Amino acid sequence: MNSAYIASVINSTLRSTTPILLAALGCAICSRVGVFNVALEAQMLIACFTSIAVNYFTSSVLLSVLAGVLSGALVGAVVAILQVKYKAADMVVGTALNLLVGAITTFLLYLIFGLRGKLVDNRLVSLSKINLPVIKDIPFLGRVLENLTIIDYLSYIIAIVLFVYLFKTVAGFRTLSVGINKPAAESLGTKATRIQMEMVTLSGALCGLGGVVLSMGQVTMFTENMTSGRGFIAMAAASLGMSHPLLVIASSLFFGLCQGIGLALQNVVKAQLTNTLPYIATIVALVLFSKRNSSAKLKK
Amino acid sequence: MKTNETRNAAWKGIALRGWQALRQPLVATIFGLLVGAAVILACGHNPIEVYKEMFEKSFFKPYYLFSTLTRATPIIICAMAVGMSWRAGYINLGVEGQMVTGTLVATVVALFMPGPPILVAIIAWLAGMAAGALYALLPSVLTWKFNVSMVITTLMLNYVANYIASYFVTYPLKDTSGDGLALQTPEIAAEMRLPRLSSTSTFNAGFIVAILVVVFMVFITRKTVFGYESKMGGFNPSFARYGGTKQVRVMLITMALAGAIASMAGSAEVFGLKYRYADGMLSSTSYAWTGLQAALIADLDPVGMFFISIFLSGLQIGGSAIQRSLGIPLEIATIIQCCITLFVSVKLVIRFVKKPKPAASAKGGAQA
Repeated sequence: MNSAYIASVINSTLRSTTPILLAALGCAICSRVGVFNVALEAQMLIACFTSIAVNYFTSSVLLSVLAGVLSGALVGAVVAILQVKYKAADMVVGTALNLLVGAITTFLLYLIFGLRGKLVDNRLVSLSKINLPVIKDIPFLGRVLENLTIIDYLSYIIAIVLFVYLFKTVAGFRTLSVGINKPAAESLGTKATRIQMEMVTLSGALCGLGGVVLSMGQVTMFTENMTSGRGFIAMAAASLGMSHPLLVIASSLFFGLCQGIGLALQNVVKAQLTNTLPYIATIVALVLFSKRNSSAKLKK
Repeated sequence: MKTNETRNAAWKGIALRGWQALRQPLVATIFGLLVGAAVILACGHNPIEVYKEMFEKSFFKPYYLFSTLTRATPIIICAMAVGMSWRAGYINLGVEGQMVTGTLVATVVALFMPGPPILVAIIAWLAGMAAGALYALLPSVLTWKFNVSMVITTLMLNYVANYIASYFVTYPLKDTSGDGLALQTPEIAAEMRLPRLSSTSTFNAGFIVAILVVVFMVFITRKTVFGYESKMGGFNPSFARYGGTKQVRVMLITMALAGAIASMAGSAEVFGLKYRYADGMLSSTSYAWTGLQAALIADLDPVGMFFISIFLSGLQIGGSAIQRSLGIPLEIATIIQCCITLFVSVKLVIRFVKKPKPAASAKGGAQA
């Protein structure tokens, strides 16, 4: 256990945190406006695919990121229309959309690229890695922050911006009021349904950005169902962070750490066993913080 | 004369109720198939011809019909497991994990327990059911003791079960007799296998097990106090508590039953079709998720779930047939079934039927 090893674990923790953090923020703003969004997984996965597909044909990082975010927002908009406007059951919409996007991405992967399973190609351009000029020469810190992408940094800024918006601005208070008591908020002239739909769509965009990091960050490829439960881990992170953007950073870092440790242990223990770590950790974390968390329960 | 009138009225009532129960799934299915048609059109094929081939090669030719029923077997049982828990208000997304755990245990017992084959087979099924039930009890106890979200825990446990099962078939239980490339256990003894019901296909007695599970479900839900109590718990928890229902006991029994039923889906697959546990054989086929959708489309009614499971299974068999012949990916089946579920979830489709305005229904189609 030397410091270089620890630094590399922290580095992989930071990388694994980003998709979870972005999706957890998306989940948090949905719960803040009283919408239970189960389709986080779908919102992420569609972005993984579209960003890689656009990347393949345009070789433009910017366009792929935009396409990913937009596709996530599109799925978010579908959730908004079905759940908020037509009051469909959240669990039904969520599970159906998660499966639908899984099928659509596999379908298109075969139809467009003639591939099954995954898409890897030399043409794919990954997000550019940033090595900060001075910090990269500091021994420990340099390794910790090595090769992070701009979205890794951006995700924390987004969390802070969301915090400021929700808790320090008038528009944010209106948004929160919708989640606390929708009829009361409406009686004061707040366009509650509209705000709910906007927030759900925004959650789609955030998850979309998370999906882009997943497919274009550490690796540059698309694999079928590559989100593998991250949407639900993000849901747990949002619930542990009590849907508060800054606390969500902390809870997401915890889940990122579990994935980081899982990756680090892969050299020692068989991969099939270390792969279970993030999922078991999610359950353990939910249990450990259950008392504190009892007010913001997600149980249906 | 009067009795005739009342009888007519009764028949009308039954017909009306039947129509009301079927109306929503039927309309949703039509819309789902329309979305599928749009996708097929976008792929450059004629939807009518594709659908004709899809349904011919799933329901109307004996060989394909048997394949459809074989594939439907685990889907029906999974749908019952979903229905068991969801109708009591417990959002159990972990049917897959419960099925995998139970099946792995059943296979291990069948492989390693000495004794007369029939007895071992029975013990293997029971052990699998016990394992599935325990695996379902784990999240239930966490919900009971710590008020943890069952949605998240049951889903997380799917991944845990799949990875651990994968570990077992990759290392300790791996069949090394062949080329050693396939990740699977050795075959179970021939005497333990479920008999084939058709000489030309793999259709087997697992389907009878599925029918028995459906009958059991109907019996539990309609004829027992437990079925009533568990339904009231999902319908109106405070009323159930007021009526003296011990909710914790009902929750634990409900979830244990769901887990036990889920394990039977996988056991039917191992003992009736594959004769071994192979890595990913229950997850890559997404039996549990198809069962979940069947349960949602049928609004958790056991008999409805049975028929819709067969229909969805047929879509998938037809989907793989057109993938072979036309190159349309078989996921078209999943896309159609997800759209059906979404249309069922949104009650708006019914309004379009009541007031058939062409503009409005076109809008509904576009929103898909």
